[in-house]
Amino acid sequence: MAANFWTSTQRAHWQLTREKIADMRKGLDEEDTNRGLGIAYPLPDHKQLQLYFHHCVQRLARRLQLRQQPLATAETYLKRFYLKVSIRDTNPYLMLSTCVYLACKMEECPVHIRSVVNEARALFQEFIPQDTAKLAECEFHLISELNSYLIVHHPYRTLMEVQVQLKLSPDEIMAVWSFLNDSYITDLILLYPPHTIALTAIFLAVFVRPAVHTQANLNASSSTSMAMGAAPGGGIVPPASSATQGLSVSAASAANPQNMSSARHSQMSDWFAESGVDMESIIECTQEMISLYDTWETWTDKVCREGVARLIRGRQLL
Amino acid sequence: MSATAGSSASSSTTGANPGIPLTRRTLPFGNGHTPVPTSLADNGDHVQRKDDSDGSDVDDPDDLNARTKRKYTKGKILPALSPASNRKLGEGAYAVVNLGHRRATSTELAVPVAIKKMKVNTEFRDGLSMDAIREVKYLRELHHPNIIALLDVFSSKSQNLCLVLEFLSSDMEMIIKDSSLTLSMADVKSWMLMSLRGLWWCHKAFVLHRDIKPNNLLLASNGVLKLADFGLARSFADPYRPMTSNVITRWYRPPELFYGAKFYSSSVDIFSLGLVFCELMLRTPFLPGNTDLHQLELICQALGTPTEENWPGVTGLPGYCVPQADTPAGGGAIKERGKDFFMNTFIAAGEPGVELLMRMIRLDPRKRCSAREALDAPWFSQEPHPTIPANLPKRGGGKGIEKVGSDLKRKAGDLFNSNTEETNGRGKKVARKLDFGGGG
Repeated sequence: MAANFWTSTQRAHWQLTREKIADMRKGLDEEDTNRGLGIAYPLPDHKQLQLYFHHCVQRLARRLQLRQQPLATAETYLKRFYLKVSIRDTNPYLMLSTCVYLACKMEECPVHIRSVVNEARALFQEFIPQDTAKLAECEFHLISELNSYLIVHHPYRTLMEVQVQLKLSPDEIMAVWSFLNDSYITDLILLYPPHTIALTAIFLAVFVRPAVHTQANLNASSSTSMAMGAAPGGGIVPPASSATQGLSVSAASAANPQNMSSARHSQMSDWFAESGVDMESIIECTQEMISLYDTWETWTDKVCREGVARLIRGRQLL
Repeated sequence: MSATAGSSASSSTTGANPGIPLTRRTLPFGNGHTPVPTSLADNGDHVQRKDDSDGSDVDDPDDLNARTKRKYTKGKILPALSPASNRKLGEGAYAVVNLGHRRATSTELAVPVAIKKMKVNTEFRDGLSMDAIREVKYLRELHHPNIIALLDVFSSKSQNLCLVLEFLSSDMEMIIKDSSLTLSMADVKSWMLMSLRGLWWCHKAFVLHRDIKPNNLLLASNGVLKLADFGLARSFADPYRPMTSNVITRWYRPPELFYGAKFYSSSVDIFSLGLVFCELMLRTPFLPGNTDLHQLELICQALGTPTEENWPGVTGLPGYCVPQADTPAGGGAIKERGKDFFMNTFIAAGEPGVELLMRMIRLDPRKRCSAREALDAPWFSQEPHPTIPANLPKRGGGKGIEKVGSDLKRKAGDLFNSNTEETNGRGKKVARKLDFGGGG
């Protein structure tokens, strides 16, 4: 992305701590409870919701045939927005469509507002107002809540820079992409600089993935239910897919991983050791990712969908 | 609604007021860590202590927008001197620009600002325009003394997005056209230096400006030049992604864009700035084409005909063509102009200046220098040294504000501002040239 991460508003204003994020969410929740909304419209916890919104955004992006980058930007906007505004005060479907619409403009691949509304209506039916004015108005609120800090730096760039140097195999690159895509379900982009996230994904792809080989089948089966099917892809960007899908692919193709991996591992550990990267952050990121997959294992979209529908109908947020 | 109407006696007297110290500080609002440029002190009449800084209203401390909004107010700092009609600096296709100022507080003086109110297309129907989005997007991230500062963004009660920009009193176009001013080579050097610094900063952050022209180079009252109008800017950090070639005002557009190149880089801005450099010396646009084709003819005449020899690969561009006169039948291609040609035209720049110019306006974009390389050019370190900004020629009279307004009125990329006399005159001149060519 444009501009320099080190002087960016992302670094200055949108690198938070876990405590800060927890505080902000707690603040919003308490306010909801005080207004009696918390009890009237129960919603699953934010991890579940994030997974749900992630899938909604993905489905919308697929219909609009977007690249991964605007999608990632849209998810980041949504995360930032919901740290400042309570979900119960918004129509989440409209909000996430707005994020996608604005992110497309930001990433220089504008989509007409009409197509966004039409595609969103095809997905979320009555929850998206027919009138484009609603979405445009929402865009305005979004920019305002984001303090018009719109440029988001993503980890994909780091990956493209180091993948040659690290001699990552196409398989590994696929897996890294998948981990990165999944990282947008977590709060990582609000917590760590993009290069840390990229290195975490590489770390996961090289060291952790082989270890889960045995579980790959299990994971793959559980994830296919929510993986929304591969996009017709094309271009330089691999279609968004869940990491667990990536895992199953690699399990099939990595015929003799054992001999290969030990030399590879020592080479990679040397690289990580010498790179001077903050290993502590990488470990923390890894834990975040693993906890995501834990949640994912048992997650279904039913509760979220019903909760959100009740909210929108009940408060008439249309 | 012409911005030139109702000119004010009060607007600005040229007397620079050095006496008011505005120390560097950080603005405590809007999460913005935008430092206010050290001297925003415009003209004497702008900077006055405002005592009625209403400390009485109490706003919701959590409402950032309200707090930000309250920092600013419409109109001049001393309302008595300026009738309300004066507030409007201009109106364009996607924005209205008003003069405003930041309210004085107990510790800070009032500062004049330009408030650019983005029009939301026809009652929200289409969302915010790309121009508005780009301007906010890039100005929020780019902070440099030679780039216009976006001080704040807030939303007004009628749900409009308002950008609070540094107020700058004039632009390069006004300086170039003001025949009462004499521009020395040291002055030109100073302006070039400042524009290159601003441009270098943009390019360093992988942002293309894509609309470099004299009236987008604004001047603060202390002489500092700042790049403005990022409505066409975009990032070029992602290689292999096509970009539109329909950008940059025609007179400053490089040949590769006329040929429909979809992949280009910072060299387009360098070419535009090179032509501004010429214009600073000639005091008239160097290549004022009437149509795209005419513009291409002018480029070929002035710089040479693009061929495979001087620009490998050019014939592969989608829109490649050669003006009739330069085809083998019409007289053959003009060789890329050498130093002698430029030395004749721009003798005042001296050899080092001409060398820099030539590197900026090479036909082949790959052969043009980068902003960084241009800054390293020996020309800048040789005598005469660049004039210090405060001593640069300034435009006198009170027309400053109206002019800035009329510039802001223009839509990005538009050349003419049809309802101001000045530009009509300019257009006529071009038309006359056409007749001349046709008749002879």
